[in-house]
Amino acid sequence: MNMSKLLKVFLVGLLSVLLMTACGGEDDTSTDDTSSDDTTTEDTSDDTTDEKEDVTLTFWEFGNTGYDVLIEEYMEANPHVTVELQNMDQNDLHDNLFTSLSAGSGAPDVTMVEVNQLERYRDAQDRFHNLKDYGADDVEGNFLDWVWKTGENADGSFMFGLPTDIGPTVMYYRTDVFEEAGLESSPEAVGEMIQTWEDFEAVAQEIYAETGKQMTDGAELIFNARRDQAPQHFFNTDDELIVEEHDYIRNAYDYTVSLIEQDLVGDIQLWTPEWFAGMGEGSYATLLGPAWMQGVIKDNAEPGVWSITTLPEGAGNWGGSYLTVPAESEHPEEAYAFVEWMTAPEQQLKSFLDYGLFPSAPAVYEDPEFLDYTDEFFGGIKTAQVFSEAAEAVVPVYKGKGYYTVNDVLQEAVSNVNAGADPDEEWNAAIEQAKSALARQ
Amino acid sequence: MNNKENHTKNRRIQKAFVYLFLIFGSLLSLFPFYWMFTMATRTNREINSFPPPFTPGADLVNNFKNVLANMDFFGSMANSLFVSTSITVGVLFLCSLAGYAFAKLEFKGKKTLFSVILITMMIPPQLGLIPQYYIMTQLEWINTFQAVIVPGLINAFGIFWMRQYIQDAVPDELIEAAKMDGCSTFRIYWNIVAPTVLPAFATLGIIVFMQAWNDFLWPLTVLREPSMHTLQVALRTLNDARQMDYGMIMSGTFWATVPLIVIFLMFNKLFIQSLSEGAVKS
Amino acid sequence: MEKSLKDKNKTARTAYLFISPFFLLYAVFGLFPMLFSFYLAFFKWNGLSEMTFVGMENFNFIFTDPIFYEAIKNTFIIGLLGTAPQIIVGILLAFALNSTLIKFRNTFRTMIFLPYVTSIVAVAIIFGVIFSNQEAGFINYILSFFDIEPINWNIQNWPVKITISIMVFWRWVGYNTIIFLAGMQSIPNALYEAAKIDGATVWQQIRLITIPMLKPTITFVVFTATIGALQLFTEPLVFLGRNLRQEGITMVAYLWKDAFVYNAFGSASAAAIVLFFIIIIFTGINLLLTNRIGRTKKVR
Repeated sequence: MNMSKLLKVFLVGLLSVLLMTACGGEDDTSTDDTSSDDTTTEDTSDDTTDEKEDVTLTFWEFGNTGYDVLIEEYMEANPHVTVELQNMDQNDLHDNLFTSLSAGSGAPDVTMVEVNQLERYRDAQDRFHNLKDYGADDVEGNFLDWVWKTGENADGSFMFGLPTDIGPTVMYYRTDVFEEAGLESSPEAVGEMIQTWEDFEAVAQEIYAETGKQMTDGAELIFNARRDQAPQHFFNTDDELIVEEHDYIRNAYDYTVSLIEQDLVGDIQLWTPEWFAGMGEGSYATLLGPAWMQGVIKDNAEPGVWSITTLPEGAGNWGGSYLTVPAESEHPEEAYAFVEWMTAPEQQLKSFLDYGLFPSAPAVYEDPEFLDYTDEFFGGIKTAQVFSEAAEAVVPVYKGKGYYTVNDVLQEAVSNVNAGADPDEEWNAAIEQAKSALARQ
Repeated sequence: MNNKENHTKNRRIQKAFVYLFLIFGSLLSLFPFYWMFTMATRTNREINSFPPPFTPGADLVNNFKNVLANMDFFGSMANSLFVSTSITVGVLFLCSLAGYAFAKLEFKGKKTLFSVILITMMIPPQLGLIPQYYIMTQLEWINTFQAVIVPGLINAFGIFWMRQYIQDAVPDELIEAAKMDGCSTFRIYWNIVAPTVLPAFATLGIIVFMQAWNDFLWPLTVLREPSMHTLQVALRTLNDARQMDYGMIMSGTFWATVPLIVIFLMFNKLFIQSLSEGAVKS
Repeated sequence: MEKSLKDKNKTARTAYLFISPFFLLYAVFGLFPMLFSFYLAFFKWNGLSEMTFVGMENFNFIFTDPIFYEAIKNTFIIGLLGTAPQIIVGILLAFALNSTLIKFRNTFRTMIFLPYVTSIVAVAIIFGVIFSNQEAGFINYILSFFDIEPINWNIQNWPVKITISIMVFWRWVGYNTIIFLAGMQSIPNALYEAAKIDGATVWQQIRLITIPMLKPTITFVVFTATIGALQLFTEPLVFLGRNLRQEGITMVAYLWKDAFVYNAFGSASAAAIVLFFIIIIFTGINLLLTNRIGRTKKVR
């Protein structure tokens, strides 16, 4: 008697716990939440035929893109398609994407992939649909060639995703600091003054001598700017480490170190409160940053003191994304149609005007609204044109799977030098560390 | 007479010292929490200034309005409540049963089995993420609450804790007496052991509830749809790509913590009640 | 009274039933991930492509990596600095919170527990500001009164370790305190009364009554704190960022970085195995040490 009664009580206890979980779960058709765009519907059909059967696409995005508005438009124009938008933190999105692709299940139909993260998947073409199979080649002309190339694989036979926005880098500068140093402060004048990196260094020395202020508050962006202008970075197209075989990266490093040693750059790290505060204080002269940095500056500084001009000797790119279609998707045609529409020049123009996402489609740069776009914050200059000039100056470069591994150790070396370490030692140690990490991948 | 005066003076000094110690500790503990609240009442611009503000600002309501506009705060809170409560109840029940067995019952292999449990605590869990996710995809539990709750019932810490406590706090004589009265093992557990170890329940309960409430990595990985998100996962959607509105984020985080404090106070009450009812002593 | 064999068997069956949920659940949800993470140590895998067998190569990688040894060193230093004080302070705090001398015990108790409840994101921001590298940073500002140069808290070796240790201590001391507090409830008040009548000071009471009687709890806390210390990960991650520089990288951070930043799951698994054995050894040592408490000092 005892045993069976006990067993019953025990099982009831265990079952009730498990039942609670079962009752709470299985909610694929649960109610919606606050945003009216996140309609959760059941997946009604699995094949897409030419008769436009109802299709649901899950779409992962990160950041503040305003895509929900565009999606509404698309769904109106294509009533058989429902797009479920899921917004996530950037790191979370990429972590989840990686986990899903690794386990082979759970990836969405369409996902934004940031340009840095794209490198991770270079070897994993089989996890994505090749957009060229669905007509991507037809729209190649819509995009800047370096952006397009980055979305392709090394030999151009596979397209991971269509580009959305980009982050061409320019030189933001404080007009008041330049004036304090007795220099001209209009964008044309500054652009004239600083045409090469030697000029940059000379102006930095002058500003420092006249005002005691540094050229920029952190070394990372200087290194990035010079790195991005190099025709070769860390790897060749066979993914062999070539960073020691050519001088470009070493030059970028040495240049940065030289500025540090002359006390022309500070040691504040990006994204710290001090860094944000510095934007408003006018304690340094320039900020080498991408188009989307505008928003950050506006958030932290007064209007009228910052202006923009192009970087010396070219430009670089920081940030930007691609819309990809993971191989798990059962509706690749519909997904591609959606992706193509989202990245078309008309939509990119809207994203730019409403949310500041800088377009990767040069057609947009000719648009009158784009050309006339002025920003009072930056002294009433035509900011969009400065960025488009930079965008067209970026050189395509092969990055490679191990790109960020090498980049991160070099950045660490730079910040160590900034804290007082020996530059040569740090460089050597960084290369060693990079090789060690790459060997395990 | 002198002795008594000294004695009282001693007590006063001791009292003062203890108070000082506690106040100092409390202030240090409170400070970051207070600052979190301060940030929740300030605009992003104010927070990013250096040095940052130490006093509350005027944007308490404003920030929270932004939170509500950007995430389903109350919906995800309800989800968190459900998940955390299920896990806590489950763990308290299962771990106390197992703890009781290891503490007071005789069976073959007891030592070995217990060592196995201890060893599972020593395995670094981070690499298990992908295989565990894979299991969930095979069970088709992705996007369900059981994907979070059921693995959460595995709690070696809880078993160890209960065993330690029951071993120490429940006298063998009591159990013997109950057995002589003809009680089944389960009845002994239910009527004698459990009431005696209420402080252990209260403590384990609050710890497990909190861990479940604050857990975000695993729920993030398995709960994909926004309607299924727990609070911590939903809070992550407040993060923008590179520009974070810290006023809004801290507001969400702060209000997400308030229920925890309420739960803590509830468990604390249970803890105290169990003390006033008197533990079973020699 | 002798238990009949039948009774014994019945009890044993019940016992097995009571402990089965753990083993069943673990068999389904815990075993595979665990074996998987150890199995991978002998393969090269980046998460997406094929797994290639490489034998002991991963172990070679990590044993020749200076950062691996840094990670071990850091784990011990930060673990010790961050955790050992918790046990001592935890007992003292619990004693104070238990003491009948004090009013507002509940308020204090809630306060002490707050750090554990505070979001780790908030904690990271706050510590980042307090321990800012700049001259105007809170701690640096105070140090300037003592003519000390501003310290680079998140780059230099010992400052990084100290900051992370403080963060760990701060976050977890309340947690251990309430565990000690629970354990103290089973110490009869009569003992304290008797000691007070005998004129024992607070310190003597702690040393001669509390600690010996608290031995099971202390054993428990030392065990879990050791494991916690050796598996420290969240605090270094939020303080240093995903880059996890070598001054503060711990063992778990090291293997996490290998797996999720470098996508080198093989070497990460190898590191996990090494860590596992280190944990077994050290928890064993600690258990032996704590067993010595109260052996000759039983007060019953």
